[in-house]
Amino acid sequence: MSQTFIEILRRALDEAMTDDASVYLLGEDVAAGGAFGVTQGLVQKFGGQRVRNTPISEAAITGMATGAALCGLRPVLEIMFIDFATLALDCLVNQTAKYRYMSGGQLAVPIVVRTQSGAAGGAAAQHSQSLEAWFTHVPGLVVVAPSTPLEAYGLLKSAIALGDPVLFIEHKRLYAMKEPFQAPAALPPIGRARIARGGTDVTVIAYSAMVRDALEAADELAREGVSAEVIDLRTLTPLDMETIAESVSKTHRVVIGHEAVQNGGFGAEIAARIGGELFDELDAPVTRVGCPFSPIPFAPELEQALLPGMRDIVHAVRAVCT
Amino acid sequence: MARVELKLPKVGLVMENARLVRWLKAVGDVVRQGEPLLELETEKSVVEIESAESGRLLELVLQPDQEAQVGDRIAWLEVDAPAVGAAPPLAAPPDNAAASRPSPATAPARPAVPGGAGTAGGERLRSSPVARRLAGEHDLDLRQISGTGPRGRVQLADVQRAVASEPAPQGAQPLSSMRRAVARLMTLSNATVPQFFVERTVDWTAVRSVRAQLLAGLGADVPRPTVNDFLLQAIARTLIAVPALNATFFGDARSPNAALVPASGVHIGLVVATGDGLLVPVLHGVEQLGVVALARRRSDVVERALQGTLRRDELEGATFSLSNLGARGPDRFTAIINPPQSAILAVGRERDTVVAIGTNMQIRPSSQLTLTVDHRVADGRLASDFLAALVDVLEGDAWHLG
Amino acid sequence: MYRALWRIRLFEGHVQRLAAAGEVPGFPHLSTGQEAVAVGVCAHLTDKDALFTGHRGHGHVLAKGSDLTAAFAEILGRETGLCRGRGGSMHLVDAPRGVLGATGVVGGNLPLAAGAAWAAQARGEPRISVAFFGDGATGAGVFHETMNLAVLWKLPLLFVCENNGYAEFTSREEHSVVKHVSAFAAPYGLPAATIDGNDLLAVHAAAGDAIARLRHGEGPYLLECMTYRMTGHYVGDAQHYRSKEELAALKEKCPIERLKRHLLASGIAADRLDAIAEEARLEVSRAVEAARAAPRPDPATALNDVYRSPALFGIPG
Repeated sequence: MSQTFIEILRRALDEAMTDDASVYLLGEDVAAGGAFGVTQGLVQKFGGQRVRNTPISEAAITGMATGAALCGLRPVLEIMFIDFATLALDCLVNQTAKYRYMSGGQLAVPIVVRTQSGAAGGAAAQHSQSLEAWFTHVPGLVVVAPSTPLEAYGLLKSAIALGDPVLFIEHKRLYAMKEPFQAPAALPPIGRARIARGGTDVTVIAYSAMVRDALEAADELAREGVSAEVIDLRTLTPLDMETIAESVSKTHRVVIGHEAVQNGGFGAEIAARIGGELFDELDAPVTRVGCPFSPIPFAPELEQALLPGMRDIVHAVRAVCT
Repeated sequence: MARVELKLPKVGLVMENARLVRWLKAVGDVVRQGEPLLELETEKSVVEIESAESGRLLELVLQPDQEAQVGDRIAWLEVDAPAVGAAPPLAAPPDNAAASRPSPATAPARPAVPGGAGTAGGERLRSSPVARRLAGEHDLDLRQISGTGPRGRVQLADVQRAVASEPAPQGAQPLSSMRRAVARLMTLSNATVPQFFVERTVDWTAVRSVRAQLLAGLGADVPRPTVNDFLLQAIARTLIAVPALNATFFGDARSPNAALVPASGVHIGLVVATGDGLLVPVLHGVEQLGVVALARRRSDVVERALQGTLRRDELEGATFSLSNLGARGPDRFTAIINPPQSAILAVGRERDTVVAIGTNMQIRPSSQLTLTVDHRVADGRLASDFLAALVDVLEGDAWHLG
Repeated sequence: MYRALWRIRLFEGHVQRLAAAGEVPGFPHLSTGQEAVAVGVCAHLTDKDALFTGHRGHGHVLAKGSDLTAAFAEILGRETGLCRGRGGSMHLVDAPRGVLGATGVVGGNLPLAAGAAWAAQARGEPRISVAFFGDGATGAGVFHETMNLAVLWKLPLLFVCENNGYAEFTSREEHSVVKHVSAFAAPYGLPAATIDGNDLLAVHAAAGDAIARLRHGEGPYLLECMTYRMTGHYVGDAQHYRSKEELAALKEKCPIERLKRHLLASGIAADRLDAIAEEARLEVSRAVEAARAAPRPDPATALNDVYRSPALFGIPG
């Protein structure tokens, strides 16, 4: 029986909290289920001490989660929208990310900050952003972006167990995605990408909701006789260049897709690394698919016009395969 | 203690791959450098290969009956001295094994043609990095390949097409690997060695007479000396007298490292027609052999050439070759040098010829000798002197007969 | 405690001297004149209690019990410093002694201290958490957020505000119409008190009461200690914003002088006090010299400890 992303993610939290008594949940409305219902029911099971609502104080609750992590807890903090992470940046960037380093290795911050990103129909500019690139720029942070319910399940558990601060970025449009639950044989490791679909003519690199678009694009391209290999990065920091290198050495052509604004987006880092390390493998320029340089508008037609998707990936692949 | 890998060596100039017949040593055996280690079947014959290093055999990678390319790893040896890299194979091979993961710091193995000269109209040549790499690996000129990419960019597929052979015309029959080896060698010779020819006629009267006497005194089971044996000795003695031709050219004429490498003795190749093509087994130290000994050696080597069981050292090391097409051969012909040798002597068929001796006309058995010479090693004067001296020996009566 | 005051005073003196001579990288902030607050509060703390401070934290760290040599070596950026030279003056961490952090971004330490208190509470441990901050931090939103949360969750957190009348180069009057920081506490339901921060005995007593409450699970407390910064905001600050008269009056209020007067009045011999001061002087001098001789960090280790598992995170990204 199929379950949604939300249900499967909840299961991961439930199991993590059962396995490890130092896992605590906090965030705005988490005891009430969280803004998207991920933490629904957990307070009933684990009690109000381990699942705590907070006031609307992103700066303070991020600091608290960090301070608690220094002292033996493994907090999983929910920041409702990645757009609100801006309020928590002093803590995340200046303290959480740097504690291990600045203390000379004395202290660690085993914290997972769950948040979600992306546009989903009318949420408008301040509730629709994809800001993951900012966090990939901060040494000390780990950035994870799952693409399916089962991937999220495994990656969340791996993130909680990791021991370094993880920004776990869910995607609004994936919350309703369904698949039958199946416990993976092994948890996907942080820092290792997966081949979502094998192919020989072009490598399409994507993460989060864009993986779904990439797979649909691959189906369409297959009908044209183009075999696309789709890589689901899973983790942005650290970036799995080994998997990318193996794929590009085979296909010699690359398209990178993400929903975030293309200018300065994480695709730029991937493209630069490929250009630098895999230059002799390339048969065409590395091409990116991302959102144009604009805030996300409110009206559905405008929003749809900007958001990159399957069509854009197909066009980009056709362009590199001429 | 260090682990060193042994690679498949190249035997001769144009070998590409070979099949392992059998290992002569087993895992755990101690091997000395230079000791025979394995038997390889190349395009030309079965050849014994010696070990490049001393050590203990750890692992035999190549299995009997398995084929491998030049440069492929065939075994692991444990050696005493710290090894910096793999043991160098006996002949310098090109590394045909393509890198499985390119390392970021290295440049392409061979620089492809830079975009300077360009295509039609002097436009900049556009090509993708991987296309350039493949073209470099196959020594292809990018300017000769038409690009189907955006703005005329030469792409991987374009180079791949160029690399693949044109489809053969109707009724084409593929060459055997030996024929292909000969074709490669002769093409290489024609393309890279500047060759010129000098000719003389030789009068066989003296040789005939000496040979007849020699045969009369020989036992029944002794190989009978032929004209070729006399030719071999004459060449050997002349190479001793004119040592400048007993050398091979080394390096690049455009670079200061160009040099002439004198041979250690006189080693002469003899062109032998086999069922499938031709072989040039090498006789070493010919200057030390009398005609009868030479005949024995020669007939043994020719026999094994025809059977395809020559040893590796019997295919290498000559500076000079002899090609005699026999009684049904042409009146004269020019032979192509077998690289890396410096000269080859073509012997036309023996004919009774009318010659002027003084004011008389006489009939003498003669042949046309055509000497092809590598112009990087010798010029016309030297070549003519050599040929004149050779004819003197052949028309003289001072022979080492033993 | 008299010795503890001297230790800090002399330590800071060396920092000032060496910084002026160019031996100290960056710009250290001295707590000269504010020693009584650190010593008075930390006298009630154990190694297990968590201490968080800000950029002016040397005194707090020493008062909590950190090794003088290691602390000075860190300020000099040496390999044997508390943080192996990675943190520096504004980021001293001494985990075994409960010094869990100092941040240079004003106010940033407050929620972390609350988090440490939360962790103790969640696990039922008797530890408390102390956050030292200056009056300038009360301008930060996160100060208010943290007070709210601390009271809401009844956290064992002691807010200690060293109100020295200045935030960087600007006097308190220009920062806020609210003269005393303790006035901010009441609206959040946070019990608070304002005391003379240069009277060691007053600090010691008030801190003792407050910490006892915390240990009994009665919730957070804010202690405002009025004090004076006897040097500039950072070494090199020419203090043009303070008048000469003002600076002269400071010496009168020095906490060490005041404690000395009190101890003498209660019968302790002057020699003994001088001897203690001399011992402190020697101890600090030796530590400083040892720190100056300490090895410098190896640049090859610059990338260590960004993440827990270097193999996984060998290269950035």
